[in-house]
Amino acid sequence: MNLQYSDADREFRESARNWLVDAVPKQPRPAHGAEAAAFDRAWQRKMYEHGWAGVAWPKEYGGLGLTGLQQVIWYEELARARAPHYINTTYIALMHAGPTLIARGTDEQKAFHLPKILSGQALWCQGFSEPNAGSDLAALKTRGDVGNDEIVVNGAKMWTTDARYADYQELLIRTDPTSERHRGLTWLIGDMKSPGIDIKPIRTMLMDEHVNTVFYDQVRIPLSNVVGEVNKGWSTALSTLSFERGLGFIGDQLELYERVGRAIDLAGKVRLEDGRFAIEDDGIAQKLASLKADSLAIRAMTLAHITESDRTGDPGPKGSLMKLLVTGTHKALSETVGEFLGWSFMEFNGDRAEHPWTYDYLWSWVFSISGGTSEIQREITADRLLELPRAR
Amino acid sequence: MFLAPDGHEIEIAEAAAAFLAEAMPITRLHRSAADASTALRLTLGEMGWFALALSEEKSGSGLSPVEHALFFREVGRQCGPIEVLAQSLAVLLDMDDTCRAGLLAGTAGVAIAVSDGQRLLGPRDVTYALDVTPSGARLLSLDGSELAERPSLDPATPMRLVSGLPTNAVATASGEYIWRMGQLGVAAMLIGLAEAALEQIVAYAKVRETFGRKIGSYQAVRHPCADMALRVEAARSQLWYAATALKEGRGDAAVHLDAAKHLANQAAVANADTNIQLHGGIGVTEEHTAHLYLKHALVLAKLFGAKRPLLASLLHAQAEV
Repeated sequence: MNLQYSDADREFRESARNWLVDAVPKQPRPAHGAEAAAFDRAWQRKMYEHGWAGVAWPKEYGGLGLTGLQQVIWYEELARARAPHYINTTYIALMHAGPTLIARGTDEQKAFHLPKILSGQALWCQGFSEPNAGSDLAALKTRGDVGNDEIVVNGAKMWTTDARYADYQELLIRTDPTSERHRGLTWLIGDMKSPGIDIKPIRTMLMDEHVNTVFYDQVRIPLSNVVGEVNKGWSTALSTLSFERGLGFIGDQLELYERVGRAIDLAGKVRLEDGRFAIEDDGIAQKLASLKADSLAIRAMTLAHITESDRTGDPGPKGSLMKLLVTGTHKALSETVGEFLGWSFMEFNGDRAEHPWTYDYLWSWVFSISGGTSEIQREITADRLLELPRAR
Repeated sequence: MFLAPDGHEIEIAEAAAAFLAEAMPITRLHRSAADASTALRLTLGEMGWFALALSEEKSGSGLSPVEHALFFREVGRQCGPIEVLAQSLAVLLDMDDTCRAGLLAGTAGVAIAVSDGQRLLGPRDVTYALDVTPSGARLLSLDGSELAERPSLDPATPMRLVSGLPTNAVATASGEYIWRMGQLGVAAMLIGLAEAALEQIVAYAKVRETFGRKIGSYQAVRHPCADMALRVEAARSQLWYAATALKEGRGDAAVHLDAAKHLANQAAVANADTNIQLHGGIGVTEEHTAHLYLKHALVLAKLFGAKRPLLASLLHAQAEV
């Protein structure tokens, strides 16, 4: 065991830090809507033009080809420079669609899409979940009729983040009408401007509309947009999901220590009903100190996990434990701050910048449900890490 | 940067595991453990385990806090007694060679003093008491002290009340190093124990059937097991980080050790608790080992940083990230 960075890692950190200090946008990111998407595209374009786009992508596809540990360094430096948060409208394109195309796409698909993703020209959304297929993704019903040169899609996808600003969609549909479960599915590149697509926003408990239901009525998609093989889309989808469970939340993992520190500072300034500072309350102080220990463990676990998978080339089954710990700690932190913040915690207009702790509290359910609920993560852990007998 | 056992570290951990499974299996605690303590100590001394973290110029193995943690994790898996750690810490104090030779060989034994030296944890036949605080450590002769046996909740930890401890120490150490090595050792024992509890219930859940199905197929069993795995993974990652920070002399090693001990306290007690519960009735019987994990975890969680002082020091401590 050692905690030493190599010379190459140190040099990478220094050059990233030097570039970010001036490059980070001075104006804050708009909270919602098309303005936010335009902001994200511009920031992505800037990173692309200066050679900082695609940290996780191989060099041959225009990425930086960084090791897992160097990606950790990159996200640490993004946080230090107060750069725009990496989970934004470019997230699905960079973290899901791009890696899936690299792993399973044709040469034409790669040549057309990858540069557009890296440069922020194309935004993507996901099209996996449906009204009756979320945790049980293999229950999906959206149908694709396969013709000679195209697939005609009918049905509905749900919980699609930022669908209105996306140019393309990763679409998982049932192309064999006689099939069940994981068989008979196809992974398609959908063009969001295709006729027959109708997007209806879903208003969430955060009072925003970041997720949508997407309806498909006779939407025609060329067969050349199939990624992987027709009726074998499940294996393509697994490569998409394994990426998210490996490194998808790395930035949140590393930021938690700093956020706990901010909560402790805040508890030193806020007074309770009895006139004491919140930090003088043993219960609150103990919870915050315990969360600090959790946040250090998350960082240690991230480094242990990433340096191990850098060596073996296999992320293994521990990504589920990571998501459980990060989302649980995130929620406990927001709850603790809510406990001492008093009535100001009860003010909320949907703007994260104005009401960060209330926003994060509400977000904690999005965090522990999206990308595989906590219950599903426990199932994956029981199956793959503990190898307990399966019930499903 | 690498945060898992590697190279010779794996060999040492495997050698320790094999040796301890033979020398101090957890099942020894169903018999009278105290009677075997002298023989066990001599065997450990003969194999050189007390010399692991002692420098080579003092006739030690010259290994680092990382190997120290790996060894005590294996001790913890067998609910090993705290006097093994007391002995390993005592040899690190400043003392003459004759005294150290007796400790290394195990011919003289060490108990650990708690509650400001009013209580001793360890077997009857020891010669010394070790008193460790974050600012220093003292080794005290038990010659002439009055000792009164107390019944112990934990079969692995005999307890006595002591009065008339001498004020003159046989050996001393200043600074926090002994405390930190003690903290690392106990945290590692707790993590080994938390791992053993997890492995025990997972093995049982694969064979035990209720309602015609293996209990490991029920989510009411699977999900608490996943939570046990999460506690182990988080605490163990932090332990590796803390051990390596101490080895490399990093300025924030103390913060990482405090965090590791806190997480280890939580993981061991909670995993021992869940292990009993998921076993059902058999889990509360004396003949099962599940209660031994819980009782030992409760003792270890109080040593080298219990919940309240750990959290008080963590609240405003800063790690370099």
